[in-house]
Amino acid sequence: MSPVSIFCLGVNHKTAPVELRERLAISEHSVPGHLGEICGLDGVEEAVVLSTCNRVEIYGGAGDPMAALDRLVAYLESHFAVAPGEVEFYRHADAAAALHLFEVASGLDSMVLGETEIFGQVKKAYALAQSTGTTARRMNKLFQQSFSVGKLVRSGTSIQQGSTSVGSAAVDLAEKIFGRLDGCRVMIIGAGEMSRITAQSLLSRGARSIIVSNRSYDKAQELAAELKGEAVRFDDWENKLDEIDIVISSTAAPHAVVHAAAIRRVMERRRGHSLFLIDIAVPRDIEEEVNGIDNVYLYNIDQLQQIANEGKARRERQIAICRELIAGFLREKGIEALAALPDGRGGEPGRNHPDPSGRPLTHP
Amino acid sequence: MDLLHLILATLAFLGGFVLAVVSWRRESDRPHGLNIPLAVAGLVFQTLFLHERGQLHGRCPITNGGEVLVFVCWSIVILYLALGRAFRLSLLGVFTMPIVFLLQLFAIVYLVLADPGARPPTRLDPWLELHAAMSLLAYGAFALAGIAGVMYLVQDRQLKSHRPSRLFYSMPPIRYLSTALVRLLSIGTALLSIGIVASFFMDVRPAALHLFVSSAVWLVYALLLVVHAWKRLPPKRLAFSAIASFAFALAALAAL
Repeated sequence: MSPVSIFCLGVNHKTAPVELRERLAISEHSVPGHLGEICGLDGVEEAVVLSTCNRVEIYGGAGDPMAALDRLVAYLESHFAVAPGEVEFYRHADAAAALHLFEVASGLDSMVLGETEIFGQVKKAYALAQSTGTTARRMNKLFQQSFSVGKLVRSGTSIQQGSTSVGSAAVDLAEKIFGRLDGCRVMIIGAGEMSRITAQSLLSRGARSIIVSNRSYDKAQELAAELKGEAVRFDDWENKLDEIDIVISSTAAPHAVVHAAAIRRVMERRRGHSLFLIDIAVPRDIEEEVNGIDNVYLYNIDQLQQIANEGKARRERQIAICRELIAGFLREKGIEALAALPDGRGGEPGRNHPDPSGRPLTHP
Repeated sequence: MDLLHLILATLAFLGGFVLAVVSWRRESDRPHGLNIPLAVAGLVFQTLFLHERGQLHGRCPITNGGEVLVFVCWSIVILYLALGRAFRLSLLGVFTMPIVFLLQLFAIVYLVLADPGARPPTRLDPWLELHAAMSLLAYGAFALAGIAGVMYLVQDRQLKSHRPSRLFYSMPPIRYLSTALVRLLSIGTALLSIGIVASFFMDVRPAALHLFVSSAVWLVYALLLVVHAWKRLPPKRLAFSAIASFAFALAALAAL
């Protein structure tokens, strides 16, 4: 067996601004071509390209990883109109490369800590390389292990739980009130951008129908058409409230437009059904007393932001637990992709786990 | 041997409670993976205990305070496992386990200090057995309804406060809790109805106090359900009522 080692080279949201990342981005249809060319570089024997909006990374196998990384940098600079030295790629080899991939697959290296989309993206990148024929034993073992680690971290910790944005905080609260959002009806009062984003989050989690009301009826119709909902005239929204579960209010009115007295009248007719009100407007649209009404839950923009901030902090507190899990996994299984390297870099489980600091060849 | 099974069951519930607290402290939204297996193990040991006591007495093992407590706990756990999961009330375990643990601890103390031993019936009356078993199962359902009521009030308070704690993320949605509340109250009332009807066929007519207290408990729950069906009580009021009704039912049980 040749003394093939593994490496990783890339940029991500922490090391390169979006202008650079978009220049280096490799679209899905052009990945096979690039994979072929990368594997044609002297010494590179396997390759997988992971290109998402937050990162462009190339994983591979090579006899001499240092030389391969230099050739790869030259390749990227020549193919992606990047001046020499313009991009500072991070470089990892062997255990550090594996650890980096494990953290990426677990969502620990993501912009939104713990997000789950990256796991699917890693799987897709591997599948694409496999179908192109640029993976062999090392990459197969490495990526299979990264899937196991990703699953272990997600099932063993709360890294993906808790809201990290105003929109997700609103959706999470709605789910704590109504459970599954299938069948929940949503009303938007004021056709602003934040209302649209929040409504879309709710729709993506199964909310059934949207009613849009706005002082400008044309704008209401426009947003209703975009969200496949129904527009109602501004002086008519109160009559529709009986059938609504969630209200998102974001008008530019300088005074409250949703009054406690109106909500009390509505709640008398709702026979115990809860009502969730999200007030994104500044100045606020909904009278604060509304929150004192039984079965009515009112949240304003600051309260949602506070929950999102706590969610982010909560995820950050999970990082140490995730790393402990990964370290335990590596102690037990080792890095299979490095197993049986003749120079002792791999071998039995427990011998080839990385330095806990995960120190790369260059920065992060 | 029977006491050993009861101790093992009690330790399993203590373990389930400790694990639930550990999960919660680790900020996990999900109950610990061993939570349900421990509840099942506890149920198995409870069942073994009740089986052995049943063999000892030659009838339904509810012949003394300790056994009654264990029987109520058994019905709470069986309803939790059968219904709790279906209603997505997984965290009910966190609330259920300590109650079951404490009640069984009292039962152990009672049985160690004052076990009256075998009390075989002079003549086995199946209607009496049915009456007692159904009534205690009903108490299990009422206890779970009370727990769901507490959970509803906790969750409602968290939502109203705008500063949800870690517990909030582990708790079920309040809509599920209010649905579960109504179902548990209905199940409990139906079981108690069977128990009361069975008492009319018993060889020995129940004492007037026993009949009066059982009927009063049944009436409280039946009225609650009728008022809810008619007026659609707000969930918060229903939750309070379920807790107050269970406190009344417990006091009634103690009076008997």
